[in-house]
Amino acid sequence: MMEKDGNLHYPGEKAVIFDIQRFCLHDGPGIRTTCFFKGCPLSCVWCQNPESHRAQPELIFYAESCIHCFTCKQICPENAISETLALRFDPERCTACGLCVSKCPTNSLRLVGKEWGLTDLTNEVVKDIAFFQDSNGGITLSGGEPLLQTDFLLAWLPMIREKHIHTTIQTCGMMSWTNIEKLLPLLDLVFYDLKHMNDSIHKQFTGKGNANILDNFIWLSKSGMAVQARMPVIPGVNTAPDNIRETARFLKKNQQESIHLLPYHPLGEAKLNRIDTSLRPMNITPLDLKNLQEIQELFEKEEIHAVLYD
Amino acid sequence: MLFFTTDHLGRPVTEEKKPSRVMRLKNSVQTASPGICTDRACIWTAYHKQSDNRKKSAHIQMAESLREVLLNKKIRIYPDELIVGNYSSKRVGGSIFPELHGVPVLLDIFKFSKRKTNPLRISGIEIWNLLKIIPFWMFRFMALKAYRSPYQLIRLLIHQLKGHFYIINESGGISHIAPDYEKLISIGTDGILAEASGFQKNSIQGTEKWCFYEAVKIIADALAKFGQRYAHLAEKMASAESDAGRKQELFTIAQTCRNVPQKGASSFQEAVQSLFFAQIAINLESLDNSVCPGRMDQYLYPFYEADLQRKQITRDKAKELLSAFSIKMSEIIPVFSEYLTNIHGGMFNGQVVTVGGLRPDGTDGTNELTYVFLEIMDELRMRQPNYHARISDKSPEQYLEKIHTMLANGSNSPALYNDTVIVDTMVHHGYSIEDARDYTGVGCVEPVAQGKSFSSTDAALLNVPLILELALNQGRRFGSRFRSGAKSMPVKNMRSMEDVKTAFEIQLADQVSRLIKDLQAIETANRKYHPTPLTSSLLEGCLENGICSTAGGARYNFSGIQCVAPADTGDSLFAIEKAVFTDQKITLPALVKQLSLNLPDNSLRNYLKAIEKFGNDQPDADKWTVYVVEQFTRQLNQYRNTRGGRYVPGLYSVTIHEYYGRVTGALPNGRKKGESFSSGISPSNGMDRLGPTALINSVNRIDFSKIANGVNFNLKFDSHTLRGPTGKLALKSVLSTYFRKGGMQVQVNVLDPSMLLAAKNNPDLYPHLLVRVSGYSAYFNDLSPKMKDEIIRRSSIIN
Repeated sequence: MMEKDGNLHYPGEKAVIFDIQRFCLHDGPGIRTTCFFKGCPLSCVWCQNPESHRAQPELIFYAESCIHCFTCKQICPENAISETLALRFDPERCTACGLCVSKCPTNSLRLVGKEWGLTDLTNEVVKDIAFFQDSNGGITLSGGEPLLQTDFLLAWLPMIREKHIHTTIQTCGMMSWTNIEKLLPLLDLVFYDLKHMNDSIHKQFTGKGNANILDNFIWLSKSGMAVQARMPVIPGVNTAPDNIRETARFLKKNQQESIHLLPYHPLGEAKLNRIDTSLRPMNITPLDLKNLQEIQELFEKEEIHAVLYD
Repeated sequence: MLFFTTDHLGRPVTEEKKPSRVMRLKNSVQTASPGICTDRACIWTAYHKQSDNRKKSAHIQMAESLREVLLNKKIRIYPDELIVGNYSSKRVGGSIFPELHGVPVLLDIFKFSKRKTNPLRISGIEIWNLLKIIPFWMFRFMALKAYRSPYQLIRLLIHQLKGHFYIINESGGISHIAPDYEKLISIGTDGILAEASGFQKNSIQGTEKWCFYEAVKIIADALAKFGQRYAHLAEKMASAESDAGRKQELFTIAQTCRNVPQKGASSFQEAVQSLFFAQIAINLESLDNSVCPGRMDQYLYPFYEADLQRKQITRDKAKELLSAFSIKMSEIIPVFSEYLTNIHGGMFNGQVVTVGGLRPDGTDGTNELTYVFLEIMDELRMRQPNYHARISDKSPEQYLEKIHTMLANGSNSPALYNDTVIVDTMVHHGYSIEDARDYTGVGCVEPVAQGKSFSSTDAALLNVPLILELALNQGRRFGSRFRSGAKSMPVKNMRSMEDVKTAFEIQLADQVSRLIKDLQAIETANRKYHPTPLTSSLLEGCLENGICSTAGGARYNFSGIQCVAPADTGDSLFAIEKAVFTDQKITLPALVKQLSLNLPDNSLRNYLKAIEKFGNDQPDADKWTVYVVEQFTRQLNQYRNTRGGRYVPGLYSVTIHEYYGRVTGALPNGRKKGESFSSGISPSNGMDRLGPTALINSVNRIDFSKIANGVNFNLKFDSHTLRGPTGKLALKSVLSTYFRKGGMQVQVNVLDPSMLLAAKNNPDLYPHLLVRVSGYSAYFNDLSPKMKDEIIRRSSIIN
């Protein structure tokens, strides 16, 4: 189905998903199953799931558990494996065919990203439907950026809605409005990231400017859709009081009352040396509770209720 | 205890605050080092050494020797006590039952004080006293009496003393009862004595029936006198007491013990005191294992209500009395040899107290005492009693809320029981609906009808994975030429999973039939040599029928046999199906060869370990564990015990899964020789990768309506997951979905951040630990050490 150029041959019928987590408690109300869609238009330097950036499946290498048997090298049809590479494989050559993954005796080579058909994915996420019902939970589309696979979502979400399952999306908003608009009737709640109010800083840290994102947020607020703004709190990037105030005022202007603050954590850095990426560790320390509460207070001062995640 | 506080000007002051009576009692019990009491063993021996006594009927012997113990053992009343009665001569102690498992235990006599796990204090004189009695019991203890033929004796030595295939706990006595304490506290021993006398009139002197009644009369009288001894002691202590408050308390104790257990209780304190005396005596009679007060909130409530109305008690006073009782339950410990510790673990003796749940008439039974007990278990957090809470669809919201809050905050009590499923199961197995609704757990998790069941719920435990080893080896252990099982098809001829299943079923049938045969010899020996008149007097049916509970006199007579490690067995069968027949990765003979060599090929082992396991909501994998449980149940269903009841399966293993793991060879699921099996119905160690919801879906594929001897299902969370209102709500939803979908029992364990630290240092401990950070995808074990520290830091901050 998948070619090396990353184009899907059957758009809309398959999704590339790199993880499905059950029993998620902080990705929307109740007990949720979160689907992590692969591919993202941004490349935020603090990204906690850097393996999500590429749209197509890719190889990930866990060096600690490798026993250097090089079974993978013998089996690789592309000659992509080498003892001398720190990453073990050459991303230029690797087609993510998965042969080495199936032969690795210690599970040190794995594929990130798997294609899911409509029915398969439905069957997978409804497994916890009883728990959704008891907890008012549901499913959450996360990523990566799920909106990159809008065609699939348009075909798939109706199957989920049919079963009366609550649907939440976590999005960066970097998408054409027409794409977002089509999906709104199929969603119950949108978690929308506001990373920085300044266009050039936004571009510096995420790779893209924020104009499109802010526009979409305005449209979304007007649409009557349930929207929850969220902000990753990255020390030294978006924590300046000016940015906080500006964010708060922007929210107020768009009739929003609250924001969820997601404190920076370095957990994504654990993955950087395991995949083919140009991202580098930020080498910053997470904020302590006191600093976070100061930011929270700044929002509250602007009459925006700020909820602090932990 | 020192507390630093501030005065009204904010200056720090040091004040000495006396901890409450309950905390003082708890402290004395928890700091006491456990010991062995020789009273019972020595008095018992002295009685039986008189050859005149040995000529009497077994019922009379039993009653008289227990009477000797109750009238002559050392008695004590400790400071601050309100509920009195000492099980042993040590503050925390256990007794020796030389006539039961006595000799095997006594062989450990020099090890008790020195052993690393659960050392037991014993003095040189006490050792000498016990050594003196060994020769007398050498050829008189239960297991030896049961197996009279030399062939059976050899099997006993091979299988029982070194139980690899199965272990018959019943050879150490039966116990596992929830006596009818409601009856005792309402009519007293006088009432029981009168009842027995009445029945005895219709029997002919000297017959077994007559002797049984005579024994009940003797022991009822002795139990009354046991109470009187404390009345005298309390009076004596009161007159010597200088503290006026304590003096008054001792007078009250004396008054209480003069009345109970001889007469029906006339106050809440008398009711609790009465049942605690019986608790001690029954532990000394049948075996100090799983004598269960059961539904205390139900049968004590009328006394509480009456005292409230008469303004003789307050809620706080009742709570203090029940706390005192609760603490005293921890004074009673079992004495296990090192070998038995493998099977039973720790110093746990399964004295269950159950709260909440339906009344016999089907209405909700939750009352104020239910809440008092919940507060007590949360505040004391002690090992005993084993607290259970019953949940029905009529349980009030407030009750559930209280339980969820306690569990989310890290209390490991109570274990939860689903009335809907358990009552149904019991009715299907022959209980009347009213009796089923009046169930309580005994021991670990086994449901029985309070005051009506004599179910040897922990009769025996079968090592099920070992049966697969036999099935793959024509009935032989790996590396053995001796055939320990039945003859079945050699693996080289097996062409499909049907052949594997057939061999497994042949071996299972064979082992179960051997187990039942050995067990029935023990049942007969228990009836013949170890009747239990006191227990029988508090079980409905025995007095009416004139038949001791050991002979089937009680209303219900089940025997529980435990299916140990069904998940390891099921996963192994699935691994065979996948590796040999679906993937054709390896032939069956080659796989068996690898198993016999203890899986030396790492890549094969990793492949086997990577095959899907029970506990991840995968029907293909889960169906094999379901199959194992079904086959086990089917085999048991063919037999009836000698008391006329059924053998029913249980899915719990206490700690024996570790021991069985140690003595069992490598398995197709990738487990190497000697590694522990999984506990109860838990997935093989750490193989549940997808969290509690997937695990619950897997577990609920088992048809619990067939598992009449109960299930132990451990659900583990880290404390970070259950933090705050979100966490509590999630726990509540998980539990209610589990029960709504047919779950039977659950024990919630909340692991603190130190557990994460342990997981960091030993990745095999929790290979699939969940990490849940909004929008973040990873397993704990895939994180670098630095990132693991980060997760630990985050968990610790919030707590």
